[in-house]
Amino acid sequence: MNERERQRKRALMVFQIFIYGYLLLMFGIQLSVWATRNW
Amino acid sequence: MNSATTDALLTPDAELEQSRLAQRRADKWLIVGTLLMGANVPGIFGFPIFLWGLALLRRAQKAGLSVRPIMVTLIGYLVILDAGLNLQGWILDMVANHSLIYRVLYTAWGNTFDAGYFWHYNQLWIGGAGAPGEKGWEVALILTVFPMRIAAAIAFLQMKRWGYQWLLVTCWFGVVIWIGYVMNMTVYADVRYAGVVFPVLGWWIYDIMYITPFLAIPYLHTVDREIFTD
Repeated sequence: MNERERQRKRALMVFQIFIYGYLLLMFGIQLSVWATRNW
Repeated sequence: MNSATTDALLTPDAELEQSRLAQRRADKWLIVGTLLMGANVPGIFGFPIFLWGLALLRRAQKAGLSVRPIMVTLIGYLVILDAGLNLQGWILDMVANHSLIYRVLYTAWGNTFDAGYFWHYNQLWIGGAGAPGEKGWEVALILTVFPMRIAAAIAFLQMKRWGYQWLLVTCWFGVVIWIGYVMNMTVYADVRYAGVVFPVLGWWIYDIMYITPFLAIPYLHTVDREIFTD
């Protein structure tokens, strides 16, 4: 059970890194497009 | 048993009754606060009312009564608020897009943050936002995940097992929504951000508040599910 709990926590951390990374990436793309087109 | 002992020690039934009353009292404040916050403009009044409900709940917990855990309360009401605000905004864009108030409010909002609500507003056959993809998301989410989320959150607040399970399901739906919606937003960035007052930064500052499903997922996956009754 303890091992399972550790795996679950690790999976949650991977998920958090993925999802916030994705949001940052999208934000970064939008910023770069904004900088290029000078809106 | 003499009266002195009955005063000092509550019977289990009496304690349950007191807990129920304390929970109900706190919930009244929490519900009113959430409804006001969910109605957009009076949100500023809803927040202190909500906090007062939380304080009442904390007080009851400290007094040893068996009330709902604070974390369950926060997540449950936050989900209702998040889904409610989204539902309200998008339903009005779907069906009330020709009313004077929404022609003013939505195009003003669009002009400030997101030209998806300004560019060709009310010019498609269905009315409302004209940004590519926006109506598809509106219909999909109004008809599926947001009502499901509100129903799940109500049962979650009642500490029911199905509420817990469905909240988990709909929080993962939230991840799908964010990945799809933000991608769509980014692909059509030149429609949505061109010519607005606060491009990019404005949208993120406003909309980052809707990431509550991400914040709830770690809690929901690690909480002891036995606290939710079958």
